[in-house]
Amino acid sequence: MEDFCKSSLFYSDQHLCYAEILPPSEVRARIEVAVLNFLRTLISPNPSISSLPLINRRSNNRRVSHGLLTDVSSIFLSHSFCARSLMKANATKAFVRVWKVMEICIELLVHEKKVTQRELFYKLLCSSPDYFTSQLQVNKTIQDVVAFLRCSRYSLGIMASSRGALIGRLFLQEPNQEIVDCSTCGSSGHAITGDLNSLENLVIKSDARYIIVVEKHAIFQRLAEDRIFNQIPSIIITAKGYPDIATRVLLHRLTRALPDLPIFALVDWNPSGLAILCTFKFGSITMGLEAYKYACNVRWLGMRGCDLHLIPEQSFIPLKPWDLQIAQSLMSSEMLQENYREELTLMVQSGQRAEIESLHFHGYDFLGKYIATKIVQSDYI
Amino acid sequence: MDGIVRVVFQNFELKSTSPIIRTNAGEEMSRRGSSSNPCDLLKKIKEFTRCLLEDLRRGRSPSVTLNRYRIYCTDPSGKCCCSSDLHMGKEIVSLQKECHAYRLDVLLRVLLIIQQLLQENRHGSKRDIYYMHPAVFSEQAVVDRAINDICILLECSRHNLNVVAVGKGLVMGWLKFFEAGKKFDCINSPSKAHPVPVFVEEVEGIVSVAQYILIVEKEAVFQRLADDRFCDTNNCIVITGRGYPDVPTRRFLRLLIENLCLPVYCLVDCDPYGFDILTTYRFGSMQMAYDAKFLRVPEIRWLGAFPSDSKKYGLPERCLLPLTAGDMKKAEAMLLRCYLQREAPKWRSELEMMMQRGVKFEIEALSASSISFLAEKYIPSKIQGGGYI
Repeated sequence: MEDFCKSSLFYSDQHLCYAEILPPSEVRARIEVAVLNFLRTLISPNPSISSLPLINRRSNNRRVSHGLLTDVSSIFLSHSFCARSLMKANATKAFVRVWKVMEICIELLVHEKKVTQRELFYKLLCSSPDYFTSQLQVNKTIQDVVAFLRCSRYSLGIMASSRGALIGRLFLQEPNQEIVDCSTCGSSGHAITGDLNSLENLVIKSDARYIIVVEKHAIFQRLAEDRIFNQIPSIIITAKGYPDIATRVLLHRLTRALPDLPIFALVDWNPSGLAILCTFKFGSITMGLEAYKYACNVRWLGMRGCDLHLIPEQSFIPLKPWDLQIAQSLMSSEMLQENYREELTLMVQSGQRAEIESLHFHGYDFLGKYIATKIVQSDYI
Repeated sequence: MDGIVRVVFQNFELKSTSPIIRTNAGEEMSRRGSSSNPCDLLKKIKEFTRCLLEDLRRGRSPSVTLNRYRIYCTDPSGKCCCSSDLHMGKEIVSLQKECHAYRLDVLLRVLLIIQQLLQENRHGSKRDIYYMHPAVFSEQAVVDRAINDICILLECSRHNLNVVAVGKGLVMGWLKFFEAGKKFDCINSPSKAHPVPVFVEEVEGIVSVAQYILIVEKEAVFQRLADDRFCDTNNCIVITGRGYPDVPTRRFLRLLIENLCLPVYCLVDCDPYGFDILTTYRFGSMQMAYDAKFLRVPEIRWLGAFPSDSKKYGLPERCLLPLTAGDMKKAEAMLLRCYLQREAPKWRSELEMMMQRGVKFEIEALSASSISFLAEKYIPSKIQGGGYI
């Protein structure tokens, strides 16, 4: 283990490992260092190809840090390493794949271009057909590069689309752009840019008292149309499903700029909804390295077990096998707090799930009243 | 067919002041715009309900006649009348049959909810409506059919009923417009994406200096063009439906074409699904067949990707993926559509060529040799060189 620690080129003294968003020059420097290091071992008196030390992404290396002074807990990966070794016959190709991807990344960084993972697949398919045959291999190799260089995919030049939108009592200003008043945005809200660098440098001004994170686009549109953010002074944000990195970065930025605002989540009552909430709260379970920095203290406002009496029996839908799988993986992670665990158990036991739209049974006004009541009564966990 | 369209209630004649009856097709189309505002729709709903009540009062079994619409059939003789925008027969829903009784029950409940939406000037989604009476509506599809039936009955489009969905489309380029008073000015940053407005009827003041409109199938391609700053160097508007286009995207596209009269090009993957999306833009979808004439874009031209492009632009063999059994089945079904032979024979031959070669490829494959190939070479050369059909 000691040797592995030493052989990691970056941050070998830290137990907590994460992937940063770095400027292109820094990423190029890291790749160059990696190459030089590799060449050095080749020309040394006893040449031996070392294994590539990558942060172990398996669940046994996942840890949760509980904030001491804050209520923020987050997932991170510890410094346990696994190796991509050239010596093992079946792992040779995996070793070479990492270098092939880094080769393309350097090219992208030099030309200041970005690609999607699919485009990267086609490029690799043409340039190195012996090593890459499927999109899955490319995705895994990208994760390997992230684990090796400790920088995020975005820094390597891999585009990610941003699906998020927000609306509410907020003034945003991107550097050198006009001020955007997010309360006059129309029912589709203000689209969150995928440019993570500009998100980090946003100027934020707001008189809202709460931040409400909404799972589904349909609910976002309903709240936007009803202008809930004027009745309950708030900022409403959605990632339209599982949160992408841009939405998480923005939410994190909002909490830093407006630290007194509590964040409430409005998700469907099913394991996916809870998983989405947990991703905002702790970080992504699968993207351990990119998770850490953007965890926020999100509280579960609804729908919860205590609200189920509000909807008629026929509005419940049976859980699918996929839901049960998600429930199982959530249960097995140690970061899930006790009260969330109880809710999850209730979901699985009842075998049913419910959508937020089912509250419309009581009329279109009901959703706004439901949210307001819950906030006022501090009914969140 | 003399093109008379009317809604007939069994044993009942509507008063001639009602705008629905005894108008010929041409008048009906121009009247559609005027008789689709909320006041007129509410009047129509009242009239419809009154007729049903009359029937019940007189001890007659009420029934509703609905027109059936379709945009294509599989008749190879070319003698079908799918190209006219008229209905293909009628369907009579009455209380005589039990399944019809359920359908009528659902229709009336949904009509009540829609009446409320119109009266309160609120919008709702199809899902919201489903949840209002989950005990009666056994599943979402039941509500969807009722909404379609009501659109046919009241001779309006779905958005006139204040039933909306979330917006999926994105637009960028040399375009400026107002949506409910708020200005969307893409001109200052032409490579910045804006969501396509959902309430298309509130869009006004469209101004543009673009020379053409480019539709792309996938969001990934849209982002590639945004990242390459395609609109900075090419004077155009780029729009994507992110897969099968939703109704707001199609309506917005129609609005742009009607206001700006620009050529429209479409860029899809060279596979059966890409082709299906292309035909959806051009001819419309079966689901919204009753509204097809307001949603389709007959002026659209297929820019790419063609099966022949793979050789012409030197696409490596490895990037060609084999057509699956599902792909072949879909392609065969599409070949039978009557409108292809009649109105787009060149499109049909390209589809046949695709099936013969047994391979497909994605637009992203064109970037394999050079990232900016799509934005810098492929699209401009095709447009200037007339490489579209």
